[in-house]
Amino acid sequence: MDGWVGRIIRVDLSRGEFAVEDLDPYLAMDYIGGRGLGTKILYDEVDPQVDPLSPENKMVFMTGPLTGTGAPGGGRYMMVTKGPLAGTVNCCNSGGHFGPELKYAGYDGIIFEGKAPNPVYLWINNDDIEIRSAEHLWGKTTSETEDIIREEIGDKWQAMDTHINCIGPAGEKLVRLANIINGKNRALGRGGAGAVMGSKNLKAVVVRGTRAVTVADGEAFKEAVLAILEKVPPGGGPLADFGLLVVHAVVSMMGLIPTRNFQSGVFEGWGNIDGFALKEKFLVRNKACFSCPVAGGRVYRVDVEGFEGCGEVEAEAHVNFGPMCGIDNLAAILKANYICNDLGIDTISLGGSIACAMELYERGYLPEKDVGYQLNFGNVQAMVELVEKTGLRQDFGDVLAEGGYRMAEKYGHPELSMSVKRQEMPGYHVQGIQGTGLEFATSNRGADHMRACTYNSELLGIPEKLDPLVTEGKAAMCINLQNFLAAKDAAGLCLVTAATAQMTPEDVVSLLEPATGAGYTPEGVMLAGERIWNLERLFNLAAGITAKDDTLPKRMLEEPVLTGEAEGHVNRLGEMLPEYYQLRGWNEEGVPTQEKLEELGLA
Amino acid sequence: MARIKVDHDKCTGCRLCELACSLHHIENTFNPKRSRIKVFIEGELHYPVLAGPYTDAECTAKNMVVIAGHEYDECVLCRASCPAKPIFKEPDTEVPLKCDFCGDPPDPQCVKVCVPGALTFLPED
Repeated sequence: MDGWVGRIIRVDLSRGEFAVEDLDPYLAMDYIGGRGLGTKILYDEVDPQVDPLSPENKMVFMTGPLTGTGAPGGGRYMMVTKGPLAGTVNCCNSGGHFGPELKYAGYDGIIFEGKAPNPVYLWINNDDIEIRSAEHLWGKTTSETEDIIREEIGDKWQAMDTHINCIGPAGEKLVRLANIINGKNRALGRGGAGAVMGSKNLKAVVVRGTRAVTVADGEAFKEAVLAILEKVPPGGGPLADFGLLVVHAVVSMMGLIPTRNFQSGVFEGWGNIDGFALKEKFLVRNKACFSCPVAGGRVYRVDVEGFEGCGEVEAEAHVNFGPMCGIDNLAAILKANYICNDLGIDTISLGGSIACAMELYERGYLPEKDVGYQLNFGNVQAMVELVEKTGLRQDFGDVLAEGGYRMAEKYGHPELSMSVKRQEMPGYHVQGIQGTGLEFATSNRGADHMRACTYNSELLGIPEKLDPLVTEGKAAMCINLQNFLAAKDAAGLCLVTAATAQMTPEDVVSLLEPATGAGYTPEGVMLAGERIWNLERLFNLAAGITAKDDTLPKRMLEEPVLTGEAEGHVNRLGEMLPEYYQLRGWNEEGVPTQEKLEELGLA
Repeated sequence: MARIKVDHDKCTGCRLCELACSLHHIENTFNPKRSRIKVFIEGELHYPVLAGPYTDAECTAKNMVVIAGHEYDECVLCRASCPAKPIFKEPDTEVPLKCDFCGDPPDPQCVKVCVPGALTFLPED
């Protein structure tokens, strides 16, 4: 095959066996790859009611047909499973170099099922596949795990070309916020994917390959790549200067930066921790994922006493350990980010959970004796300590390890958890960005800023500028973007690169068609995206996640923002949701109609 | 002689150069292990290296060099393929690979896809 490699590894961890299977070309065409194929496999093989941390759950690592081809931003891969935080289908996406390397080894994806009796890791070097003991790696951080595995390879040059996905102690201890980390700093994030891996006693997946990814028409493919690179601003543009904090610069200017658990939209210390501050104080350089012309990755080094560390930081960490916790100490925020990557925890969910605990504490719902120390907003030491304790499930961290929603529920105030479907909201005050509120409420894996990126339109004007304060037209825009992004996730493209280059469905086809040789059309790509979205919905409905869960925290719906451009506004989800269901071809209960399912080939 | 200027500070480690090289030299194929340029990534440092000559004898003395406070392994920066650095060889046949500036007249494809500007083509002066 071209684009796709055509083979998938299936690993039965319980029996310690594996087999290499052929990829069904018709399925590949219909679901494109990545998020689509992964979801299809999960839907076909796993009972949606299954306990996410039981051996019956599966993990599907899957690349797209553009992964590893040199398409701009074409280095992405996905891991699809049922997540333990939200209980929904959980598709995690990551860049780095792992996905392309998996294809160079000769595989589109890996399916893990069962549970290993003892800790193991999977080793892949072209045809050489082994399930190896990971007893000596258990308990190690993600960076230690990578270093040990590379050292064991022996040959320096081969070790450089080997790429590793692993969990840290958080995943091993089944922390519901745990991530899977690759290259020490890149995450298959959100939803607790790391805990699923930990529940299977799977410590790492290691891959190296020397084979090719072929395309059907190299000349046409090259022309398409060069045309898209032309659309990237010189040097990568503002993203190369400030990373994703570019978006939050606008969010902050509008008075919509989530502050002290979303109690305010204005953070007085933002200037101490924003993109300029990072650049001035701790930025070492920009770093790109595989095949990315934008290079928004921010490599930092901190040598402030007590907060030493180095790595890569993502914008959401700034918001969730910063304003959300009332903290304007950038060194401390970077330390929290560093510990998260090393222990393997999600920065958005953990920052949001700590902010929630801080509000519970300040309101007197969470007694100090339960925490062991004061937990007021702005308490830098407490925040950094809780990050570590949560990753290791120590003391109060054991309660937070269940996620902010379950913690708030335990203390009788679940409404103070700023989450959707139990997953914490990223850094956008959705009272002032109406469409993003709808995006969070309808996301198939709980609150998520990477399922439609409606704020790109409402705040930055990509692809078109819509007034963030109105609800009109938002349902249609949200649906359109959700479908398009699902298709891009399936193809193996990066959403950030695609937004920077303002990639259209036509651009995606200009890559997919010469890559695969299959007759894709812009409409067909959008339809595939819609098919994926609906299949995710079907999985969730069968898992018991229904229309009642398509909502936002009470604070977003009832407490108006007090300052900034959105002063006096709440999120008017009620105006958008019925229209959303209708335009989706779903009934009033949010269930896809028979007619819609037939149209999508899902009946 | 035409040259390619390599600015290591500007390299972001995206490896688009490796892919452009492989597609140019092997029809319809992306395979970084068959590319004649390779970006070595060590922590926060990125070294794009163009394939130079093959030698069947490795150096008898190996150098660590310090430039502007950074310590570099000269083996990583070296353009040669040798027994101690088995890079720039066809994976299956071990036939050595060498940068050819993508033909005559030179038209290096790696430079064309280098958005951060780490690679610059300097035509013959």
